Amino acid sequence: MNCDDSRIYLPAYLDEELGVGESLRVQEHLAECGDCRHAQDEQLALRSALRDSDLYAHPAADFSKRIEAAVRGAAKAEARWQRSSWFQSLRLEFFRWVPAGAALVIVTTIGALLVMNSLRSSHEQLIASAVLAGHIRSLQPGHLIDVPSSDRHTVKPWFQGRLDFSPPVPDLSELGWTLVGGRLDYVDGRPVAAIVYQRRMHNINVFLWPNHGSPADAIKQEDGQGYQILHWNGAETTYWVVSDLNNAELLELARALRGH
Amino acid sequence: MTSQEKLRRFEEKVSPHLKSAYNLAKWLTRSHEDAEDVVQEAFLRAFSAFESFRGEDAKPWVLTIVRNTSMTWLKRNRNAGATIGFEGALVDPIERSPDPEEGLLISCERKQVRQALEQLPSDFREAVILREMEGRSYKEISATIGVPIGTVMSRLSRGRDWLRRILSTPQLVKPEEGAGLR
Repeated sequence: MNCDDSRIYLPAYLDEELGVGESLRVQEHLAECGDCRHAQDEQLALRSALRDSDLYAHPAADFSKRIEAAVRGAAKAEARWQRSSWFQSLRLEFFRWVPAGAALVIVTTIGALLVMNSLRSSHEQLIASAVLAGHIRSLQPGHLIDVPSSDRHTVKPWFQGRLDFSPPVPDLSELGWTLVGGRLDYVDGRPVAAIVYQRRMHNINVFLWPNHGSPADAIKQEDGQGYQILHWNGAETTYWVVSDLNNAELLELARALRGH
Repeated sequence: MTSQEKLRRFEEKVSPHLKSAYNLAKWLTRSHEDAEDVVQEAFLRAFSAFESFRGEDAKPWVLTIVRNTSMTWLKRNRNAGATIGFEGALVDPIERSPDPEEGLLISCERKQVRQALEQLPSDFREAVILREMEGRSYKEISATIGVPIGTVMSRLSRGRDWLRRILSTPQLVKPEEGAGLR
């Protein structure tokens, strides 16, 4: 190994990221080359300067308590959401076992359908709590939008390269829905688009992502902690709309979005 | 997984990495307040996405979320122009000295190391912090930052080179932002 190679390999050698063979060759070279040993000393000096424990940033003493409280708050909100669906599935389990014998075939069929249904609805509960959390987070100062614009031709392209799909961003201003911008969010284990509309100071978050395989269906309604949640599957896109706006007006927006 | 159980597992797997999360956020945002906000947001995100976490060691997963949250945060609050550094922005602070003796680190003063590190553009800074302070492997850094391992190696090597050189020329380590980084 010559000096040029040795200098290239040196950082990875010191980081213990080289294979055994290359490490040995660097070692051999270092044993016989003073210049490279000097370079090694320099790199080691920098390393120990950077690893100085006083440079490490420590949080305030009460910080872990604050984070713990915030996470526990989120867990509680989630638990409230799930409780209703647990009761439902418990009851379904019970009814599944009461009729026996002759009705077995029918019951099994019905039971299977019900279980599938409850699985789907608990999945929906999970999404509902995620979009609700996203909505509430977005209401904190500075969190609402990543791309502030009332122009759909600004908002839509902003998502390019940030998402693996191109979200529809219709202009609904004539219907009284002001587009204020868009944001990236994270729902159901994937990055999603959040489009934000406003009406009379009420913020409406429209979460959307591609619909893979669910049949298109009607607008469904969930109720969460005083917020209205509407959701439906379009042919290509799954929509979740959250706001503190009244139900009738929000339904109007949902229909307008479906029309586009 | 019930909410109770999820919370218990989260506190067992994720909460122990709060210090690392804060350290990373602090070095990326260079502000105590921002770091606290970023970590809180990152932990709430981590909690809501905890079902998607697989494996035993949650540290790389947490650091990735903290890193991404910091980047979103910095873009959103674009208050400091030089906050987001691009690879092209790393310019030699000084012509390399032909005499190796002059290249010795003459400044290992903590204050100067801190300033130099704060001035390092963020692309390089995040790699250096993850490696030197958090002890992450190249592979983990590559996954956290979302760039190939070769890029991690080159950023580490160029970042450290730059630090070494700026610490060898103390007159360039100035309190204000971006000295020698044009």
